[in-house]
Amino acid sequence: MTAVSTTLAIVLTFSVLAALAAILLRDVLNAIIAFAAFSFGIAVAWILLAAPDVALTEAAVGAGITTVLFLVTIAKTVRPSGERLLETVEWRSVAIVVLLVGSLLATVRSLPAVGAADAPVATSRITEYYLQNAYPETGVENVVTAVLAAYRGFDTLGEATVVIAAGVAVLLVLRQEAYV
Amino acid sequence: MSQSNPDRTYVESTIIMTTVRVVVPFVFTFGLFVMFHGAESAGGGFQGGVLVAAAVLLLAFAFGIESARAWLEGPLVKTSIAVGGATFAFVGLGALLGGGAFLEYEAYGFGTYGVKYGIELVELAIGAVVSGVLISLFFSLASGDFQASVPADSNGGANAENGGVNAENGAGSDANGDGRDTAVSATGTDTAVGAAGGDEA
Repeated sequence: MTAVSTTLAIVLTFSVLAALAAILLRDVLNAIIAFAAFSFGIAVAWILLAAPDVALTEAAVGAGITTVLFLVTIAKTVRPSGERLLETVEWRSVAIVVLLVGSLLATVRSLPAVGAADAPVATSRITEYYLQNAYPETGVENVVTAVLAAYRGFDTLGEATVVIAAGVAVLLVLRQEAYV
Repeated sequence: MSQSNPDRTYVESTIIMTTVRVVVPFVFTFGLFVMFHGAESAGGGFQGGVLVAAAVLLLAFAFGIESARAWLEGPLVKTSIAVGGATFAFVGLGALLGGGAFLEYEAYGFGTYGVKYGIELVELAIGAVVSGVLISLFFSLASGDFQASVPADSNGGANAENGGVNAENGAGSDANGDGRDTAVSATGTDTAVGAAGGDEA
């Protein structure tokens, strides 16, 4: 194992433990903090997988803003009574989770290795086209941005529209006339 | 606790206020940097927008959600959402006028520079949309008028309930005491705001 894959294994183990804590902890505040830790672990994993754009999003949205929004939301709830630390486990739910995770894990074997030179995404003609032409055609050095804003610009417009629509819908549901 | 001081909107902390005062300009600048510099390095409108929103949220936590809300009062946030969305759409439509396809930056006739600055403009527009939506979401969740339509009596009841929760926290473990107190004080704030909203209505 290389240094990167060892680090990745540690980070993923941390993320899985944080996810388990987020599921099992009974106090919602503790669960939210565990969930933020999970997002942070995933963000580090993205960095190790050389995807800084996604890592930045995960860190800012997952570990940052989502946590704050969860916090201001649970401030409206009451804490569960009693001293129990963990949630009681529903065995039927566990069975469904095991089934889902098992079927997802079964597909992992057929994925190409991380960074494999013969992976379909590396040998694809489209990938080659983007890598060769993104800079001469758009003058943008970050290929991810070139694809997002130029080649797939219409998709990104749709994405921005979804953000606006979701925001307006949520604000309407919260019945805010004078939110800011 | 919240009964004895109903006007308490947040717990004033010199440490948090000073830290936030130092950190926020950097967070805000970094957010704008991520937006502008998305073309050359990792980042873009979505990430930068979230960072800019995070700067405003930090201010709200340090100086009180109500003060921050009053500071942002006016059409600024809503306008930034609308202008951001419209800018993106019009950059796309403008290319049609220039004889190109939708969002074909070359159609503006500035060559590769036109493409690059078109992309930058679109990233800024996305940043305006994302930060505006997140800031609005935060303020409506934090001081929303969930209780505005409820009669004033039940607000009083909720307040008493918060007091009870607070007392329970005091008996709880010290390690989590701070966090819970913050959460509960936020609840107190919300209830007060809800009552205020009800009065206005």
